[in-house]
Amino acid sequence: MAFAPAILIGRLVRVAARLRKRGGGSAVPGLVVNRLAPRFLSATLAGFPQGLVIVSGSSGKSTTTKMLVAVLEAHGLRVFTNPSTANISQGLTSALLERVDLRGRILADIAVLEMDEGHGALIAPQLAPRVVVLTNVMTDQIDRFHDSEKVAGMLGTIASRATGSLVINADDAMLLELAAHRAPGTVIAPYGVSQGVLAANPRGLGYAQTAATRLAQRDGTVVTEVDGRSARLSIAGGEHPITLPARGTHYAVDAAAALAGARAVLGADFDAERATTSISAVAPVFGRGEIVTVRDQQVEFVLVQNPASYQLNVDSLEKGLDQLFFAMGSDVRDPSYFWPVDSSSLGRVAVVSGSKADELALQLRYRGVEVGAVDHDLAHAIDTFLALPAPRTGIKTVIFTADSMRRTRAHLGLV
Amino acid sequence: MTADLTVLTVFAEQTNVNGDAENALVLTARARWAGFSAQRVDWRLGDPVPKGRPDVVVVGSATDPVLPALLDALRPAATTLRRWRDAGTRILAIGTGWELLGQTIHLDGQTLEGLALLPGRAVAGSGRVTDDLVVDSPFGRLVGFENHLRDVVLPAGSVPLGRVVYGRGNGSDDRAEGLVDDTVIATHLHGPVLAKNPALADDLLSQVLGAGYTARTAPAELVDETARAARSVIATRLGLSATDVA
Ligand SMILES: [Zn+2]
Repeated sequence: MAFAPAILIGRLVRVAARLRKRGGGSAVPGLVVNRLAPRFLSATLAGFPQGLVIVSGSSGKSTTTKMLVAVLEAHGLRVFTNPSTANISQGLTSALLERVDLRGRILADIAVLEMDEGHGALIAPQLAPRVVVLTNVMTDQIDRFHDSEKVAGMLGTIASRATGSLVINADDAMLLELAAHRAPGTVIAPYGVSQGVLAANPRGLGYAQTAATRLAQRDGTVVTEVDGRSARLSIAGGEHPITLPARGTHYAVDAAAALAGARAVLGADFDAERATTSISAVAPVFGRGEIVTVRDQQVEFVLVQNPASYQLNVDSLEKGLDQLFFAMGSDVRDPSYFWPVDSSSLGRVAVVSGSKADELALQLRYRGVEVGAVDHDLAHAIDTFLALPAPRTGIKTVIFTADSMRRTRAHLGLV
Repeated sequence: MTADLTVLTVFAEQTNVNGDAENALVLTARARWAGFSAQRVDWRLGDPVPKGRPDVVVVGSATDPVLPALLDALRPAATTLRRWRDAGTRILAIGTGWELLGQTIHLDGQTLEGLALLPGRAVAGSGRVTDDLVVDSPFGRLVGFENHLRDVVLPAGSVPLGRVVYGRGNGSDDRAEGLVDDTVIATHLHGPVLAKNPALADDLLSQVLGAGYTARTAPAELVDETARAARSVIATRLGLSATDVA
C-alpha cells in the first residue's frame, strides 16, 4: 500500500502529459514517481514470483530480450518486459506504472528487462536479478579511449548483482574476465560460436577482445552453423535447427544468449524443442532486420550502433543491393572512428543523408563506393529515396545511426 | 620497394582507434588517381619491421593501456626508423602515435621514454579534450577532431603545424598545434585528417612523387568537394568561416 499515493499521482501525471502532447511525455510520470517514491522501482522489480532477468551489453540486447521473452512465454510464463526505447530509469518506472495495481504489483511471473550498460550500472545496486545475461563488449563512441574497460566495469557492476546465474558470451574475452570475478555461488551459463562459425567471419564478431578458445559443446549453448537465416545450435548435447529473424551470425549469437538465459531461468522445465520453435517464430526488431511496408513498398531498416556493428551489418547485407540509403546523424559526434570500417561491398549508395552526410560520403567515396545524392535534409532525402524505382535486386535498404533512425521513424509515422 | 608510393602503417590494429591508419588509404588512393602505383604495408605488432624503406610512415593513436607494449615493440626498430627518416621517409604521427615517437610520455604518474625520433614531450594536461579542432596553417584552415589526455611541449625553435582557432591543440600558451618540418607532420587532428584536409595530403605526395603528382583528377576533385562541404558544416556550426584569412 505504501506506494499507492505515488502510483495514483503518477497516473494523473500520465493522463495530463498525454492530454498536453499526444504520444509525448511518457518519461514524465516516471520522473515524478521516482521523486515521490524512490524505492518504487526496486520494490516493484523485486515483487515478481520468478524474479528478475536483466539483459545488457554493447549490442544485441533488443533481439536477445525479445527472443528470451518468446521462449519463456512458450513455456507458459507471464512475462513483464520493457519497450526497448524505455531504457532509462524514468521510462522503466513509467512502463511499470502502466501495469501495476495500487498495491504495487504486476500480474506477471517474471520480469525480463533490457538495460544499457550505463543505466543498468546506475540502478543495479538496488536490484537483485536472479539471472543476468550479457551479450558483448564493443568499442563505443567518444569515450572510447577508456571505453572497453569502462563498459566492462559497468557490466561487472550489473553482473555482481546476479543471485542465480550469470549468462555470458564465452567468445568475449572481457566478459570471461568479468565472470572469473563473479560473486561466490553464482553459476556461469556460457554460450558462444564454434570454431567453424568464427572462421566464416574473417573480420571476427566485433568484440573489443575475442577469447582465444571456443566453448566446448558439452559446456554450454553453441552456434554450430549459420547460413543466411538458418542456423544450428547445440543445446545440452542436442543439435537443433533454428530460423533467425534476419541474416547474420550476430542474430544466431543472440539466439544462443536467449536460449542459455532461458535454460538458466527454467532449469529442468526447459524444453529445447519448444524453445527453438518459439525463437524461430520471433519477428525481427525494427532496425535489426525488420522488413517494413512503407508507401506500398518493402523496406529493410538496418541500425548501425558502432564500428563493429557497422562492419557486421555491411558484411551481412545481401550482395548486389542497388537501392541503398545511408544516414549518419548528430549522435555520431566524431565520424572518424568509422573510417576503419570497410564499406566497399556496398558498391553504390543512392542517397546519403543526416547531419554527418558529407563525412559519411567522404568515407564511402574513399572506399570506392559510388554516392548518388548527398542530401542533408533527412525527411526530404527519405522521400526522395522512397520515390526511386524498385530495385533490380533485393529490396530497398535503409542504413542509419540511432539519431537518424528516430527521425526517420517519426517522419514515416512508424511507431 | 617496387611501387611508386609505399605507405607503412605501424601496428594498425592498435593505432586505428580513430581511423588514423586510414590516412594510408587516402594517400594510396590519391596517388593511384594521379596515375602512380601505390601500396600499403601493415607492420603488425609481433612481426619484425618490414624490409625496404617506405616513402611514408603513418603512426596513429592507440589507447593508453597499450602504449607501454607498443613502445617495447618499437624500441628495437628505432635505429631503422631513424635511418629511414634521414633517408627521406615522411612521417605522419597522430595523437598518441606522436607521443610514442616523441621524447617522453607522462602516463599514470610515470614518465616513459619515447623513441625520441620527433621532438615533443607529452605532459599531463588539464583533462581529456574531445572536441572539434580548427587550425590555421600554411596549408589553409585545417578542420578535424581531437581526443587526447595530454598536452605536448615542443622544444624552442620547433615549427608548429599551425595556430589553434578552435580547440586545444598542443595546449601551449601560444595556441600552437602540431609540428611540421620537411619530413614530419605531427598533429592532434585525428582520423582521416588527410582526407578532410587534402592540402596536407597533396603536400606529402608532391614531396614523395615529385612534380608529376597532381590532385587535378576527377575522383580527387569529387572527394575534395565532399571534404570541403564537411569542413564547412563543422566551421559553420562553430561560428567560424571555412577558410582562414591568410
Ligand atoms: Zn562507451
